[in-house]
Amino acid sequence: MWRNYVTVAINALAKNRVYSVINLLGLAIGMAACLLILAFIRYETSFDRWLPDAENTYQFQTYFPNPRDGPPAFLQMASYVAEERLKKDFPQVESTVYVLSGSPTIVKDGKVATTEDYLIADGDLLSVINLPLLRGSKTALNAPDNAVLTHSEAIRQFGTDDVVGRTISLIQKGKTYDYRINAVLADLPKDSHLKINGVFRRDFTSYFAQEPEFLTCWGCQSGWIYAKLKPGTDPDTLNAQLPAWEKRNIPDENFGGTRYNTGDDADWKFVNVRDVHLGKAQAATMSPGNDRGTIATFAIIALLILSMAVVNFTNLATARAGKRAREVALRKVLGATRKQLIAQFVGESLLVALIAVVIALALSELLIRPFAAFLDADLTFDYVGSGGMLLPAIALVIIVGLLGGLYPAFFLSRFQPASVLKANKSSAETPGSGRLRSVLVVGQFAISIALIICTAVVYGQTVYARSVDPGYKRDHILQVDNLSRYQLIGRGEQLAERMKRIPGVVAVGRTDIGVATMNNSNSGVLVPGRTEPVTLGRYRVDAGFKDAMGLKVVAGRWFDPARPMDDQSTSFPETPAEIRALVARGSNVVVNEYAARKLGARNPQDVIGKTVRLGMGADYGEMPITIVGVVKDSRFRSVREPLDPIMFLGTREGTTHMVIRYDGDPATVRAGVERVWNQAVSDVPFEAKFSEAIVEDLYEAEERRAQIFAGFAILAVVIACLGLFGLAAFTAERRTKEIGIRKVLGARTLDIVRLLVWQFSRPVLVANLIAWPIAWWVMRDWLNGFDTRMALTPLPFLVAGGVALGIAVATIAGHAFKVARANPIKALRYE
Amino acid sequence: MLRMRDVMRLYRTDSVETVALDGIDLDIAAGEFVAIMGPSGCGKSTLLNVIGLLDSPTGGSYVFDTTEVAGLGEAKLAEFRKANIGFIFQSFNLVDELTVRDNIELALLYHDVSARERRARTEEVMDRVGIAHRARHRPSQLSGGQQQRVAVARALVAAPKLILADEPTGNLDTNHGEEVMRMLQQLNGEGSTIVMVTHSPAHADYASRVVNMLDGRILQERRRAA
Repeated sequence: MWRNYVTVAINALAKNRVYSVINLLGLAIGMAACLLILAFIRYETSFDRWLPDAENTYQFQTYFPNPRDGPPAFLQMASYVAEERLKKDFPQVESTVYVLSGSPTIVKDGKVATTEDYLIADGDLLSVINLPLLRGSKTALNAPDNAVLTHSEAIRQFGTDDVVGRTISLIQKGKTYDYRINAVLADLPKDSHLKINGVFRRDFTSYFAQEPEFLTCWGCQSGWIYAKLKPGTDPDTLNAQLPAWEKRNIPDENFGGTRYNTGDDADWKFVNVRDVHLGKAQAATMSPGNDRGTIATFAIIALLILSMAVVNFTNLATARAGKRAREVALRKVLGATRKQLIAQFVGESLLVALIAVVIALALSELLIRPFAAFLDADLTFDYVGSGGMLLPAIALVIIVGLLGGLYPAFFLSRFQPASVLKANKSSAETPGSGRLRSVLVVGQFAISIALIICTAVVYGQTVYARSVDPGYKRDHILQVDNLSRYQLIGRGEQLAERMKRIPGVVAVGRTDIGVATMNNSNSGVLVPGRTEPVTLGRYRVDAGFKDAMGLKVVAGRWFDPARPMDDQSTSFPETPAEIRALVARGSNVVVNEYAARKLGARNPQDVIGKTVRLGMGADYGEMPITIVGVVKDSRFRSVREPLDPIMFLGTREGTTHMVIRYDGDPATVRAGVERVWNQAVSDVPFEAKFSEAIVEDLYEAEERRAQIFAGFAILAVVIACLGLFGLAAFTAERRTKEIGIRKVLGARTLDIVRLLVWQFSRPVLVANLIAWPIAWWVMRDWLNGFDTRMALTPLPFLVAGGVALGIAVATIAGHAFKVARANPIKALRYE
Repeated sequence: MLRMRDVMRLYRTDSVETVALDGIDLDIAAGEFVAIMGPSGCGKSTLLNVIGLLDSPTGGSYVFDTTEVAGLGEAKLAEFRKANIGFIFQSFNLVDELTVRDNIELALLYHDVSARERRARTEEVMDRVGIAHRARHRPSQLSGGQQQRVAVARALVAAPKLILADEPTGNLDTNHGEEVMRMLQQLNGEGSTIVMVTHSPAHADYASRVVNMLDGRILQERRRAA
């Protein structure tokens, strides 16, 4: 019996090559997409599970769910003082460590070089985070001035990983510190939220001696707290105790006569390290995380693509049912029960699914490496084990086989033998099955069109983000980093002067905020007549900044080096007397239009000459500041982020970046700038980037997303078209007689082509009606994540509809022409 | 109406050359009812297809009215066919998905005829063949005789100069066969020119002239005494 079924099934596959290829190819593509996405989902959900003791290792995060001013913020970072208090207050906490990320300059053989992802820890990180070691012992960080490097970093710096006992010298805060390397870490895998090349232990009390407020400031989230909880500790119980803990620990502050407590806006939470990568907090991260929504979207799209392939399978099976009607009738006459027939047809569909999954596995093996490289992920493709693909593949065969086979099986086994045999029909068509096919084709094209629209909108927004007017002249800027290094304190102005003399340089400015710089600094400003302070971005700039960035003054004036009140420079470190004198004297500031509006001005001119008070910390009170100018709003950051209300403070020293506007050949200017830097500054490496490259990097994630959507859309369209191709072939065959009649009655080839094309265009046109509202809703939601966004015009919708229609027509046109040109005699002579 | 001289139709495959029509000379005048007879494979249907411009001769001359149609291209042939010829088939060749009315109207769809006129002419021709009461039915709901009436109506509706019928009674029982033949005779009486292929000598007797074929040639012609 079964041998007969298998023979019939294989013969059926071999006989109808077109249908077999369409089914197998479509299913294989859909299954491969599912398997690859599964590998990706497993990777994304596996973060930090490899870490020994992960179940007891936690990150302590800071949340601002409802800030008085600005959007909610969820940070992975926390303040240093919180770590001290956690250790003190919770016996369940076994050990903690506070780490700062840095890229200190390394000194080797008298030369300096930059570093990346070096952590400065205040304690024994290895006793909290159980990082695997290749050399040395777990006690490697048990005292200050100890260090560990990863295997790769050891090789990069020393050419060998046999570095235990060696010394490494770093320049930190202007001083050179020697560290003893006590251990070598295994390189961290990519599926970790941790990004570490080396860990360097320092005593923070002495390290921050010149900035002691860092050690007690609750609002300074500058590093990460990791805690090891005692085994068996329930994190929920611990988290429930945090509101009371914060009340006990955070002191009230006085700001302009109003009581203020950092804890009012902030919440804290212990989050297990395995949940950090996909967690709620995705700001102030060590490495970029991901969100569950994106992963769910990918999973849904992969399933949709698979379902499209299953639809093809069902559609072609029912469409061709008539071809097998006689076989069914004969089997019934010979005594087959309906159950046996259903089993036979489901068996056939399982066989097809099995062959398809073998192709899918081969495709996945081929594609996993490029896919992983594209996603910058360590994707693996094994068959057995916890991440094995064998079980999912078997599940796919069963699910796809049953989904694709059950309906046709019931449909085919329903044929009544007497009528089928008597009618002697070759193409019996059961009423209703055609309608179901149309509905399924509409569904397929709705998915394809929606994905094309998503691709177009995501791509359009990327283009928009790169080209939208940022409010300043964003091109032809070379942005130089490392200006905040201690070695450069007091030398910035002189350096800027030398840069100005380089041929091709038009203007030079120094600033805390430049083209997509990471700095984020806010301060409360008290406005007369208001009780609540207004939060404004607070960035130091020099007088050259306006011309270097191409800012436009819309009211008042820009900073003038000749006016002392425009300058807030202090020495470093600042002395209390200096700050008191500055607070007593007051200062001039320039704000942007948004800040002027936040301060209550209807038009920029209104705030010129107004004096407000700027909070200078609990010890110094508030400084009167007078607004002397308003500049046009500028988007210095990604368009994802809201526009900053900015207050610029004039300074001659102490900024983080230098912006150099140039004309002429970029490479020549860059070479000139680097030469001058290296002559002037021997102990800080030169790091600079062109604004065009910075913007390119800024929207890389969006670009990548557009590419992923494009990939999905192409797969969807290919599968939908495979199905349409099959249906067109079937229809052309079924309608041969009708077309013959029409031709005999005078229809031209073109009339017939038009008839068939219209038959298949209708479901595609109807699909638009479903795809458009859904895509509009999803894309509007996505675009709302951007502070400034492209208008959602009908264009991408019409283009997507047009593209789908064009591809559908091209797919079936071949068939249509073939049948339309056929000689009608052949079609009409025999029934 | 049509004049054929030395018409040849060869079919070639890689190894075999089949002569389907071998030097046919045939004249048919307007108003004639011609029956073509002969054993299976003698070339009757090929001749009918060539006459109906569904197939082109590979040699000889074929003048329809005053036009030499032997060398015309496919598009021209389609135009010519549309303007002059109606077909009736043995297997009716109705479109299963369309109603009786729509099947008949189909023949006008490719002519430059307004919707109103199409409707009127369809109604008229349905009356004429006595099928008006089944206008909304599908072909599958009709008897064989009724289906062939629909096919005749469809052949008539465009008012062709020539009606070609390929074994129009082949799929019908005796009663229905007679019914269709009487109808064709009536149409001929009303002025239609008809060329019919048939196996049945009894049905051939309805024609005014009988042409007998064998192996692609005309063996004998016989006129019925008026």
